[in-house]
Amino acid sequence: MPDLDRHTNPLVPTMVKVVKIIEETPDVKTFYVTTDEGIPFKVMPGQLAMVSQLPVGEGMFSVSWQAEDHLQFAIKRVGLLTEALHEIEPGQTLGIRGPYGNGFPVDECKGKDMLFIGGGIGLAPLRSFIKYCFAHREDYGKITILYGARSYADLCFKKELFEEWPQVPNCEVFVTIDNPEEGWDGHVGFVPAYLEEINPSPQGTIAVTCGPPIMIKFVLQALEKMGFTDDQVITTLEMRMKCGIGKCGRCNIGSEFICLDGPVFTLAQLKKLPPEW
Amino acid sequence: MKVLPADKIREALNILAGEAEVYAPLVRGDVSGYIKWTDGPGDELALDILNTYMPPKHIVMPQTENMYKFIATGKDAQVTEIVTAEGPRIIFGIRGCDLQALHALDLAFLTRGYEDEFYKARRQDLAVIARACYQPGPACFCESMGVDRLNPEADVVIHVLGEQGLAWEPKTPKGKDITAKLQGILVDKEVALPQAADMKVKVDITGLSEKLAGMFEHPVWDELSSRCMNCGVCTYVCPTCYCFDIQVHNRGEAGNRFRCWDSCMYKEYTQMAGGHNPREFKKERFRQRFLHKLQYFNERYGANLCIGCGRCIIMCPNEVNILEIINKLKEVQVDA
Repeated sequence: MPDLDRHTNPLVPTMVKVVKIIEETPDVKTFYVTTDEGIPFKVMPGQLAMVSQLPVGEGMFSVSWQAEDHLQFAIKRVGLLTEALHEIEPGQTLGIRGPYGNGFPVDECKGKDMLFIGGGIGLAPLRSFIKYCFAHREDYGKITILYGARSYADLCFKKELFEEWPQVPNCEVFVTIDNPEEGWDGHVGFVPAYLEEINPSPQGTIAVTCGPPIMIKFVLQALEKMGFTDDQVITTLEMRMKCGIGKCGRCNIGSEFICLDGPVFTLAQLKKLPPEW
Repeated sequence: MKVLPADKIREALNILAGEAEVYAPLVRGDVSGYIKWTDGPGDELALDILNTYMPPKHIVMPQTENMYKFIATGKDAQVTEIVTAEGPRIIFGIRGCDLQALHALDLAFLTRGYEDEFYKARRQDLAVIARACYQPGPACFCESMGVDRLNPEADVVIHVLGEQGLAWEPKTPKGKDITAKLQGILVDKEVALPQAADMKVKVDITGLSEKLAGMFEHPVWDELSSRCMNCGVCTYVCPTCYCFDIQVHNRGEAGNRFRCWDSCMYKEYTQMAGGHNPREFKKERFRQRFLHKLQYFNERYGANLCIGCGRCIIMCPNEVNILEIINKLKEVQVDA
């Protein structure tokens, strides 16, 4: 029988403990997980991991940050598994397997100005790259973060968004919500429109975007209008996944699998694939 | 040439079944398939059935397959056993079409990044005794898909000679080992191999994969998919359809996670928890199946994912015919 602690079967999870849970919004929680020996595996920004709650189910999530001694997952309550995950308390054992996927091209982006454009829970994968840039601040130029959600309550990572990130040298943070509400004196409107208002220069800049598919589509159009070339635009996609290793079939776009060849694609790569995402 | 006399076939299968799981073409009720040989009362060899109702893919990817067992108690949870298939297996009487399908599954499960360990455990100790196929059926088009039906790439190739039994040709060291086990009952004899009948159905797929790369948004998919009911039978009887789901079964604290065949014909296949579905409608799912068969798999692995066995043509309740589809796809104009 294979050694359960040191098995190499990519479809079988390793057990991790939830050490901390943060309520980000009414329907998003961040889970800190780790093992007695530290993080279960190393993850690059933008990579994925399959998180399971035995016996409920298993789902693919972007790792929203790899800290020194734990991994973070920001998870929105949308279905059966995430409902169950939102019920758990610190001390719960979960299964985890990964890392999966290509991750963001952190090295290729060195020396560039970075423009991050996120919507809703779409900030979770971007956050791993944003925090990576901050941790290697000298490697990247100006950092611009544009983030929007339906309402103030729905904004994730508020402390970082309003207190920590604006303090980082040469970093600007723009936040918007969909509709006006009492007590909010910031920007109101959708992310793609706000992006056009801010009108960032494409010169030496890489744009990275993630959010609901409809937001991504309009953001891509806006970036194109501003003069960003297809190689300067990066997005990270999601798709239903079961295996994570390019076998179970469902997460393909054309002949590429999101779990293996993605989830991160440049717009140039994406345009070569069927528009089925 | 070595010959296994007709009245010794059962004995040969029993000898092989003493040391390995042997899967042979048998009929059970209304269904034929590659079923484990136990020499039971109903186990009549059905070597001439074209094609078996069910393909042999379950030998390397069972319809449901336990992956691991676990116990979850309160806040604790642990995997208690990884279920791994063990022991030698033999497929007996497989045809070149289904064998080429097995080679396509090998590409999917064992190459391009990860090896699937559950598949590998079933595949690595599998010996293949394939039959040369001299009489193709009315829906067979294997040769058009590049299958060598007369010389399948197997450990042993058998030729069905009717009352004379089976001509027996070991092709590999593994095949010679199997042959040695049948030393006592194989006889040396001059025999004439059967005459090969021509294929009744042919289709030319030259350049199709490349053409399809420019046809994703072509309106012809509306017409082609109109008859499909998304019932999924084509994917279940297809020897190369390998997509799977991973699910869980538990009773109280103990449970196991298993995988099972899935189908791109079903909406749930790509339905995401948040509501978004990239293949929400029938046309999109239909198109996915045919492009996977004829374009995507080719681009990724350099092989066709259709091997011309004809099962989907025979089983489809609404006469969706992959040959007609291929011909229509070839006919339509594509804007440059």
